[in-house]
Amino acid sequence: MIGKGGRVPEAVRLWTLRLFVLTRKELLQLRRDVPLLLFLLYSFSLSIYVSGAGISMQLNNASLLVHDGDHSESSRELIHRFRQPYFRFDGEVQDQKVGVRRLDQGTAMLLLDIPPRFHESIVGREPVSVQLLVDTTNAPQGLSAAAYASRIVGKFSFDLVASRLGGASDGGVQLPAVESAHRVWFNQEQNETWFQSISHILRMITLFAFLLPAAALVREKEHGTVEQLLVSPVTPLQIMLSKVLAMTLVIQAATAIAMATVLKPVFGVPVKGSAALFFVMTALYSFTTAGLGLFAATITRNQAQVGMVSLLVISPMLLLSGITTPFEAMPPWVQTLMALSPLRYFVDVTYGILLKGVGLELLWDSVLAMVFLGGTMFGLGMWRFRRQLQ
Amino acid sequence: MNMARMVAVARKEWKETVRDRLFLLMAFLLPGLWIVVFGYGLVLDVEHVPFAVLDRDQSSSSRDYLYRFIDSRYFDFRKSVSDEREIDRLLGDTSIRMAIIVPERFEERLLAGRSVIVQTLLDGTFPLHADTTKGYVIAVNNSVTQELITDFLTRTRGLVPAEARRLTEPVSLETRYLYNEEVRSTWSIVPALIMFALMVASPLLTALGVVREKETGSIYNIYSSTASKAEFLVGKLAPYFAISTINVGVLWMIAVWLFRVPFKGNIAVFFTASMLFVLCSVGIGLVVSLLVRTQMAALLITIVIAMVPTLLFSGLLVPVSSLSPGAQVQAHLFPMMYYTDVVRGSFLKGLGWKSMWMDLFALAGFAVVLQLVAYGLFTKRPKT
Repeated sequence: MIGKGGRVPEAVRLWTLRLFVLTRKELLQLRRDVPLLLFLLYSFSLSIYVSGAGISMQLNNASLLVHDGDHSESSRELIHRFRQPYFRFDGEVQDQKVGVRRLDQGTAMLLLDIPPRFHESIVGREPVSVQLLVDTTNAPQGLSAAAYASRIVGKFSFDLVASRLGGASDGGVQLPAVESAHRVWFNQEQNETWFQSISHILRMITLFAFLLPAAALVREKEHGTVEQLLVSPVTPLQIMLSKVLAMTLVIQAATAIAMATVLKPVFGVPVKGSAALFFVMTALYSFTTAGLGLFAATITRNQAQVGMVSLLVISPMLLLSGITTPFEAMPPWVQTLMALSPLRYFVDVTYGILLKGVGLELLWDSVLAMVFLGGTMFGLGMWRFRRQLQ
Repeated sequence: MNMARMVAVARKEWKETVRDRLFLLMAFLLPGLWIVVFGYGLVLDVEHVPFAVLDRDQSSSSRDYLYRFIDSRYFDFRKSVSDEREIDRLLGDTSIRMAIIVPERFEERLLAGRSVIVQTLLDGTFPLHADTTKGYVIAVNNSVTQELITDFLTRTRGLVPAEARRLTEPVSLETRYLYNEEVRSTWSIVPALIMFALMVASPLLTALGVVREKETGSIYNIYSSTASKAEFLVGKLAPYFAISTINVGVLWMIAVWLFRVPFKGNIAVFFTASMLFVLCSVGIGLVVSLLVRTQMAALLITIVIAMVPTLLFSGLLVPVSSLSPGAQVQAHLFPMMYYTDVVRGSFLKGLGWKSMWMDLFALAGFAVVLQLVAYGLFTKRPKT
């Protein structure tokens, strides 16, 4: 009994040691690839800064041209209401045709056309309409601009009604109205920097977590060094696990760098939940995504192939998992398909921890999904890899 | 340049590509697959926003009011709750993005001609969606208000409804959408996806083609051969250029025939720009491949370089004009932005040479510079 009891820990120790040695080998190999390391550093620092500071999907500074056919007090008042940050007044045109040409060239996005006798109609209580031409080559932006414009004109119109009726009635204006009061949670100022920089980290983690282990595994196959591993006393599980471990470590470090150098000090992203939980989740996500990558590596023979297969898998993950577009609006078949994308769950987890400050009590289902997906992919990869080695 | 040697390099490269079945399949399949999947699947409109309601009034007016949201395609009704704390929980685990709270005495106050404040709670993690949702809510409230006032005036002042309506909407806005009259997001996304498909696949094809030789050492055959630098580079690029050219045609056909995006412009402009853009994209792959030693580095760097500016700085999702000045500079440093302009201009706006020569010029510039950089970087006498 004592002998047996002594041997089991010894086997465990040896197993862990071999895993450790293999992991170290992966890290060493990565360290010697200087261009790759520099690029990794850039991706998790400067690149995150640029996209966080630079990208705004909300309408801002939409270039507005005006054709003012009236030049009156009222028309000036209306034009004045189209203002920053949504609209940027880009000058007046004398002729509608000139304005349309500018829209053609893409140097302006909107053309507001105020008809002659605008002021007269308002004073004379005649209904009048102003025209807005919108460039909708980018449909969502065009719609958004049109929505803001209609809000502005609606308010202008409502103010006129209120002042008219107010003047007529005895004393204070009493009109029934439904007013909107908004409270925005989790990101009160609707600070898009937070959103974009976090999205970008997710993008980078996904790319690296998928590609690094996949390329590392397929490289061994391509170079034939996997034969050397075969004759050494390591198991396929150790080979695969060591790659995942090494790359997960690297990604964790890179994420920590991004958090410490860009997200927190420069953008002031609040980490409302537990930072430790976030890193554990990042590790889980890296593992899950690495599982996908390793599976891709087992069905391909060389790095060129694995590159193409990665593109096949990664592009939908990045575009359809809900970091670039609203997930709810996606067609049902996309939503079903994306149940297979670990990023879809990690998005909720990341925003949940960083911005909403929620913990496992609300995120457990996403976590479970990632564990399940990661486990399955890793298992499938293992199974294929083992078969290929025999 | 010796034609025969160049052709020999190109043939060798072509054979290598063709014999790798999976690789070849992907090279032709990926661009077409992407445009179809993303053309149908990538919906940029904010729709089906999941929401919950808390009706503190429970009157017929409040129910009528809430029905406007429940019936709308912009919103997806999930739940009616009776406690504000439940809203916290639902927003926290992302089962809803918005909650509407109708106050007590909603009906009573409106009938008395007074205003009520309806609270909306929004999930701000995705600022764009929160903002758009806010816009929808305000639009609903405005139209409700207008009806209420019209109704109020007919009741209290004895006006005919038509007259009251004239009074309540003195100024209206008529919006005309240009270029994409029905504002279909498919029409704006599909042409830009041609850019995406060309940009993401072809640099990788090229980069791996060269680095593979470096990593396996077969590049020494080239170093010691009579083929000159230019012959090698041109021969190397030719097959990938050919593949991408075929893809341009296929993508164009998918956009026009499958998605029915109108092609209003000049086909010669479109294809000239596409050829130049393909030269740029294979050029990027070539430059990366000359800077790195391992396929792994080539793989990662090309994918990230191809993916990130293509998604963020090309105008595909975010118009370049609404980027910050710093990001705009970055957008101008990559060829994607110019090509997106040309593709959208050709498809939707119907522009020709005259309006787009600047973009074409920029693309040509990128193509030339990239090839020159590649020529400068490539050496047959490596130091190591």
